[in-house]
Amino acid sequence: MFLEKGRISNFQLSTLTIGYILGASVVIAPGEGAGHDAWIAIALGLIEGLLIVWIFTALARQFKGKTLVEINSLVYGKILGNFISVFFIWYLFHLGALVLNNYARFFKLELYPATPKTVGIILIMLVCASTVSRGIEVLARCSLILVTFTILTALIDTFLVIRHMDLLNLMPVLDVPLGTLLWTSHSTAIFPFGDTVAFLMILAFINKPEKGRSAICSGLLTAGLVLIIVAVRNAAVLGQMAVTYSYPSYISAQVIDVGDVLTRVEVLVAINMITMGFLKISVVFYGTVLGLAQVFNLRSYRPIILPIGILMVILALTNVSNTAEMFDFANQGYPIYTVPFQIGIPLITLIIAKLRQLPQTGGDQT
Amino acid sequence: MIALVLIGFGMVALIQIPGLVRKQWWRELICFAVLWLMGLIFSMMVSVGITLPPLTTIINQAITGMFGI
Repeated sequence: MFLEKGRISNFQLSTLTIGYILGASVVIAPGEGAGHDAWIAIALGLIEGLLIVWIFTALARQFKGKTLVEINSLVYGKILGNFISVFFIWYLFHLGALVLNNYARFFKLELYPATPKTVGIILIMLVCASTVSRGIEVLARCSLILVTFTILTALIDTFLVIRHMDLLNLMPVLDVPLGTLLWTSHSTAIFPFGDTVAFLMILAFINKPEKGRSAICSGLLTAGLVLIIVAVRNAAVLGQMAVTYSYPSYISAQVIDVGDVLTRVEVLVAINMITMGFLKISVVFYGTVLGLAQVFNLRSYRPIILPIGILMVILALTNVSNTAEMFDFANQGYPIYTVPFQIGIPLITLIIAKLRQLPQTGGDQT
Repeated sequence: MIALVLIGFGMVALIQIPGLVRKQWWRELICFAVLWLMGLIFSMMVSVGITLPPLTTIINQAITGMFGI
């Protein structure tokens, strides 16, 4: 049974992937642990990220037109399959709450210090709930406009800070210990690149399933390139201080001053953060409600959008005590916590499907 | 704060329930009601000042402890 009747093009999938990856990584700068070598960590992370994408897109290619919940039911049987699906849905739900929390903290620290965090979270959630209720097509169309705007502004920002850049800030190259660099690159592969595993809930709805992998990979490479440019810019502009800021992109845009006329450009970075965050939250939110609707065999996912949104808001408000704990989790726990969801479930499911020679053509696939 | 939460949850119920009852989508109604009730309970706890356990912090402590990071 299809709960989603919409179809998206492969190009829309690419832009959605870019928006999804840039979504949280413009707030928490990836590769930060490697200092001024962040761009190397991102480049290495991109390679590992491509491997993760290869695994889950292989699964999606094996079961064309099926979401992960349906694939799990086919491979493991109804009960065990749904049990595994619930774990994966928890990951999406938790990820949504984490991204919401990041945005609320950004609002509170940089934009609206006097406004309660709850207000920002509820407002973003209402927009996301409205988009998700309109289906995947609307979300994909939003990504086309928003991602174009974000990439353009990121490039313009970079162009405008060129005169404040000192490329010597990037020297010496490979200054960090190898272990730190590898750990940071793994963190970068998991967050943000590996998080694209959420697309296992969306790949079923593209109009050319056989080209889904290339669409996601091109999105991953484009987003990776933007992140590398941003990392080089931040390190070159801010120097050693880059690692001390929570939001280096926002701070580096603050130095833009073109003839005392064009100033306070950082608000563009803030807009990028909000719009890309909206895309990321919407994708994981969509995956969560669609997945739950499939697990419980509902006729529509729309009735559960608002209650799930409310629960996500509550988790976002309570899941960490302070900003330092959030950054600790992003750098320490998260790269391990997500391995079972990003690599474990898709890889094991793929292996079992191959061993059982699933899906069987002509057989019972319910 | 409590009144605001109750008004918000009342509005959500008013938006969803009549349509589900009219279509006789009982399974969807039960699913909605369970999630709505969970949301209401947790929201009330937060609004009366009860501190819910910070799940992410607990997960992080468990992982860093387990792997000695």
